[in-house]
Amino acid sequence: MEIVVCVKPVPEGETRLRASADGASLDPEAVKFVLAGYDESAVEQALLLKESLPGSKVHAVSLGPAPRTEEVLRAAIALGCDAATWVDSGPAASPDPIDVARALAAALAPLPHDLVLLGKQAGDDEEGLVPAALAEFLGVPDVGHVVDLRWDAGRSRFTFRRAVEAGQETWEAPAPLVVALQQAWNDPRTAKLPAILKSRKVPIARVPPVALVPGVGRSQSVRFELPPPRSGARLVDFQTPEQAAEKLVKLLREEAKVFP
Amino acid sequence: MPDFSLSPEQESLRDLARKFARTEMAPHAAECDRTARFPEEIYRKAFELGLMNLNVPTEYGGSGLGVLDQCLIVEELAYACGGMTTSIIANCLALEPILLGGTPEQKERFLKPFCADYQFASFALTEPSGGSDAGALRTRARREGDHYVLDGEKCFITNAPHASLYTVFATVDPALRHKGVTAFVVPRTTEGVTPGKDEEKMGHRASSTGTVRFDGARVPAANRLGGEGDGFSLAMRTLDQTRTPIGSLATGIAQAALDHAAAYALKRHSFGKPIAEHQAIQIKLANMAQSIHAARLLTWHAAWKIDRGERGTLESSIAKCFASDAALHVADEALQTFGGYGYMKEYPVEKLLRDAKLTQIYEGANEIQRSVIARELLRSYE
Repeated sequence: MEIVVCVKPVPEGETRLRASADGASLDPEAVKFVLAGYDESAVEQALLLKESLPGSKVHAVSLGPAPRTEEVLRAAIALGCDAATWVDSGPAASPDPIDVARALAAALAPLPHDLVLLGKQAGDDEEGLVPAALAEFLGVPDVGHVVDLRWDAGRSRFTFRRAVEAGQETWEAPAPLVVALQQAWNDPRTAKLPAILKSRKVPIARVPPVALVPGVGRSQSVRFELPPPRSGARLVDFQTPEQAAEKLVKLLREEAKVFP
Repeated sequence: MPDFSLSPEQESLRDLARKFARTEMAPHAAECDRTARFPEEIYRKAFELGLMNLNVPTEYGGSGLGVLDQCLIVEELAYACGGMTTSIIANCLALEPILLGGTPEQKERFLKPFCADYQFASFALTEPSGGSDAGALRTRARREGDHYVLDGEKCFITNAPHASLYTVFATVDPALRHKGVTAFVVPRTTEGVTPGKDEEKMGHRASSTGTVRFDGARVPAANRLGGEGDGFSLAMRTLDQTRTPIGSLATGIAQAALDHAAAYALKRHSFGKPIAEHQAIQIKLANMAQSIHAARLLTWHAAWKIDRGERGTLESSIAKCFASDAALHVADEALQTFGGYGYMKEYPVEKLLRDAKLTQIYEGANEIQRSVIARELLRSYE
């Protein structure tokens, strides 16, 4: 089976963010970029399928600027992906998601693909628009919120489960298919040291910069602000939960005056 | 001009170690310290990720890293727990004599099967009657046909209760002093080899330290590393390779101490403002940061020299000695910043102080490091 997994570099959770000089986006200089959490689950799903279906290959694809995009592709290779393609976005900071999907589809079309996996949304902007748009541009069906995916070889169909309100649905669909995955349901693996070193030597195919023209009939990021700093919290010393509640009520009543 | 930037490979090695340290080691550090538990499940994961036999070339199943790469990893691991780090990296010390003094046949025979599985090896040099004076070893090796018979006791041996392999330094004739010291690879299964119980330690309590007794243990002559009398030089060359990462281990402990102290100083109030706004605390934090920065750069420099093929005895001794002294001082100042809370076991800094102390003692006590530094220094004036 030929599997393509699309990944996105996003700021690491512990990164201290700041706005760029023009105030329109995140300043990438101070940020460490990592594989998005949802995409880790997508890579894990791709590798699980590859391991269960001998002869399968996993090709990682990512769109973005240097050097972060190449770095997340190397991380995907270190985890076990066989090949990688970098769709160079040029310096465009926050391209429109539909443009991203169009560029990914163009890069993906020549690659063999029975299955295209993605995280259901990115860990930074949380938009979740690319999977459906990508499926549309590729002309294949797509499903979202998937937590488990198997290939039924006898019937040549994928079966998958979707997390929905108050339960799980089981669906099936033929290949080719775009699948957007939930985060962390499959306990993504950690790359091993020898694989990390080996991943540095795997060539990454580069698709030349694609025209992502912000503002031309598309959405455009105009402002990026950090949340205002929070005013100081008060810590209450206590020995027992009852004492904590008593002290809190006293403060709420006498200082915050939320109770009469 | 020197270049202090890390390669993308080194960045990714450091990321791996940082992630492992913070997600796998840190959550268990306090519990393992309190109960002196040897967390096998964590060590097994470290092995599976390739974090255990860092210095063994890949052809023998290790990770094949240079000293600077090892330093980057060790500092990250030690940030989470010094004791666990000691046990994770002890194989590097135990296997280094085989790397430096083993024949291709011995490397093939010992390293390949060893690195294929999760297991521990121990470097057995120190004895109850002395550690630093390695020329005065009492453990005897008597030649009998194509075997040597070992008799004696080693102590303070990291991972000894858990090890499957020991690199043992013994003397063929105590009167020869340094020239009698000879190194052997001794499988634990050898009859007459008896590891003792875990010692109860002040710090590094997630690590295991113990004695090993040799009572008429018959070791094939084919397990001797180098010739008779080559052991002392082999031990010293081994420590030249492994001393620098101990500087990084100390640096990791110190960095953890500073991070705890700075975070606490920003949120703890006295006299109407955070204590980080009092100059007395600012001076502490500034001095701690200076010591850590210097320690890190000294270890990187020593590692860089060794990776270039130089022996680096002077630089690695300076790095280990400075970084370990810095770690104790920084942990002490961090504890002082916490005041009474710092003295409480509920807070993380008193463990760092206890863990830092060992780095001044093991892998060559700092008194020995200073005598090495003075010797190398004076030689340059002769």
